Amino acid sequence: MTERRAFFRSCALALTGLLTSRTERLLAVTGLDAGPEDPEVPNQEVARILKQLFGDRPIRRGHVQLDMPIVAEDGRVVPVIIESDLPMTDDRYVKGIHLIVDHNPDPHLAAFHLTPAIGSVSVSTRIKMKRTTWVRAILETSNGEVWAGYARVLVTLNGCG
Amino acid sequence: MMINDIGEARIRVPDQIRRGDLITVNAIVSHPMDTGFFRTAEGDPIPAYFIKDVVVTYGNQEVARFEWTSGISRDPVVSFTLKADKEAPLTMVWSDNKGASFKQSVNISFISA
Repeated sequence: MTERRAFFRSCALALTGLLTSRTERLLAVTGLDAGPEDPEVPNQEVARILKQLFGDRPIRRGHVQLDMPIVAEDGRVVPVIIESDLPMTDDRYVKGIHLIVDHNPDPHLAAFHLTPAIGSVSVSTRIKMKRTTWVRAILETSNGEVWAGYARVLVTLNGCG
Repeated sequence: MMINDIGEARIRVPDQIRRGDLITVNAIVSHPMDTGFFRTAEGDPIPAYFIKDVVVTYGNQEVARFEWTSGISRDPVVSFTLKADKEAPLTMVWSDNKGASFKQSVNISFISA
């Protein structure tokens, strides 16, 4: 019994190792043409959402901290924290945060419209995730700049059905 | 925090607030947030039923508005900051896709310095 358990554990460890090295390799490959670790647009739906929200404006990585677990054991409840160091003053502020989960049935999961009265960008909530995917938190400023933060979350239990 | 009835909501702000503080607001509303993708044990589809819009008002000013989908978890929580620059009620109204809306308020008042 103990031997069997040890065997399963070593299998699990080997699998984890494989997954990790594979992810790193994929990141290294995409890093060549898409900038450091920028996730590729995975499908037409996400492409359509990005186009509709931001048009042809460049989506630059930076000024956004997207905090999510590396592994979400329950896809029904995955915590999200979005923070930014961008100013929230009357003449320049973050007017919106868009949360996009690439492989969810409805990828444009939420939009948070903000005003300078909020004082800072620090929003948290809990979301559902169908499977392992990239999550994008994309901020739009009052003067039209677009900034993004990305997180890849491993989902072990489908939270969408 | 025990919440049972659909639409029952709570807003939490710090106990002691001074004028000009940047405070954190925590809010929760009870709602099933059904995606429409699940079925009951009997096989009947459960229709989509979720909060789709949240409006945050401070005094008479709309300070934030959230557009949600059923991708937000059951009994939605949200937290955000607020510049406490006036003594006024902070009100949140959550509206769902069946036309119901739920309102909760908390008074922002300053401790005497």
